[in-house]
Order: sequence, then structure tokens, then C-alpha cells
Amino acid sequence: MIVRDDLAEAHRLSLAHVAAPGARLTGARRVQIAEVARDAYLAVDPSPPWVRPFGDPMLDVAYRLARHAGTITQQWYEQTISDGLHPLEFVEVVGVVISTIAPIAFARGAGLPLPTLPSPVAGESTGREAAELAPATLNWVPVAAPADQVASVVQALSSLPDEWGNLWRLAGAQYMSDRQMDDPLWNRGTLSRPQMELVAGRLSRIRECFF
Amino acid sequence: MLSWSSTESGSPADISVIADGEGDAGVPHGAELVAFTEAVAGVDDAVLVVARAALVACAGETFMIDAAAVVANFEMMTRVADGTGARFAEAGAAQRAAMADKLHINDFTSARK
Repeated sequence: MIVRDDLAEAHRLSLAHVAAPGARLTGARRVQIAEVARDAYLAVDPSPPWVRPFGDPMLDVAYRLARHAGTITQQWYEQTISDGLHPLEFVEVVGVVISTIAPIAFARGAGLPLPTLPSPVAGESTGREAAELAPATLNWVPVAAPADQVASVVQALSSLPDEWGNLWRLAGAQYMSDRQMDDPLWNRGTLSRPQMELVAGRLSRIRECFF
Repeated sequence: MLSWSSTESGSPADISVIADGEGDAGVPHGAELVAFTEAVAGVDDAVLVVARAALVACAGETFMIDAAAVVANFEMMTRVADGTGARFAEAGAAQRAAMADKLHINDFTSARK
């Protein structure tokens, strides 16, 4: 089975990104979060969404996001913040979870061996954050200033440039770039655009994602 | 996006398949794509093996790989949206409301209003 080079590389880089130090978390902590996300995503009989299986706010966020994302509410988000998680730590957990799940979902779907998580890269967290943050109307997490100038999913991870960059590299390889998105007829010569949108729409409906 | 892209390509799709998973939406290999998407989203590996083989049989392996990539993308984007509390801007609200009615998604927890 031959996987496009750009797609294979985006997935390889995504898992390497998971294992590297992040803005606020070490590589070891990020891999721990990724393990929780992977196991939650693949679980045949998962715990219900209201359970906090780990008693560790970051791991519990990773679990719920990986397995029960459609049940997350603003009240729950605010509770995790009032329990002590910094909003940018929350954003970093989101970044690690999605960077982990994308390559695993692809491999499982395509019938390829599931990728293993790399060993953590040693080192302190990088501190790389947007130069200026702003509260957003279109998201409950803070975003890079100025807020609400672009679509909510575009600005969602903008507070942490490395998470934002990995997300859009993955999107470009798995689906299309934002520039290509403006063309309703754009495709790679395999799935037509309506075929891609059929998959996108049905998956989003199954995951109960209104957006 | 399905409605827009299919209309622009000259064959408006039946978007009800997004809500109920029934039919092919009037899109080539639509039924196999829906079955494959549902199987990847599910937990039964045996169902996934069958759905994958059916998609490969009708459209080929390269097509199936790109379909798996699109599924993976939306396993990712749905979590970005729901993890960060993404909302739509006010512009276009009436058109979206009509679409949401058709798709029966107004009662979703993620319908942040």
C-alpha cells in the first residue's frame, strides 16, 4: 500500500511534534497525554464522558476530548480552568490530542499498522506563545490578538504557534489547504470535492459536532 | 460544504445522508464512502475490514487511502472545534439554521448558541 509522501511526512512530523517539548509542557508530559488520547480513541468500551478517570486535569481533558469531544461544554471548560489548569495548558492538551489522533485514525482506517508514539525529547518547555493574547467571542480559549478576525477553527490554536502550525500542516495533507478550500472543484484526482465533503459531513455528524 | 461543492460541480447532492447514513447522496461511490466513514468512526475492526474492502473494490486503493485521510482530518477538526468552543460568526446564521434543521443537529451539545 502506497501512502502519498506528503501525507506520510505530515503524520511522521505530527508524532515527532507530540514528543518534543511544547510551549508549557515537557516532551515526557506530552507523550503521557498522547498515550491517554490514543487509548481513549481506540477503547472498545470507554468510560462515560462525566467520569474523570485519572484525577489529573490534563489527562482527564485529553481523555474526554479524545473520546467524548461532542459532550464538552463551556461550563466544563471553565471548571477545568478554575481547578487549576491554565488556559494555554488546555490549548496545548488540545494540540497534543489532535496531533496524536490524526495519524492513528488514518492508519486504522487505511488498514496500516498503528504508529507507535516516539520517546519523549528531553528539555524544558519552549515558552513559544503568541506575542499578544486576546479573549475571543468565537472560542472559549484565548487566541492570538486580534481575536475574531478569522474563522473560529482557524484562530482556535493560534495562541500556541507550534500547535497551530502542526494542525494546518496535517489539514493540508489530509484534506486541503485553506486556499484550496475556496475552490469547490479542487481535488487530488482521487476523491472529488463532493466526495470529500460527504465523508467530512458524515464523520462530523457521527461525532455530534455542530460546527 | 457538500451542498455547495456538489451544486458547483453540477450535481446537487442529497445531504440527508449526512444525518441518517442512508443512500449515496447522489455521489459516485457515496454509499461505500459513508459505510467506510462510519466503520472508521466505530470500534468494530471486522466491520471496518469489510467496509474498506468494499471501497477498494469499487474505487481503488489510492482512493481509499485518501478517504482515510479525510476521515482522519475530521477526527482532528471536530476535536479542535469542540475542544476550543468554536462558534460561527453571526453572518450567515439564517442559512446555517435551515441547514441545521435538515441535518437534525440543533440539539447537539456542541450547538453553541
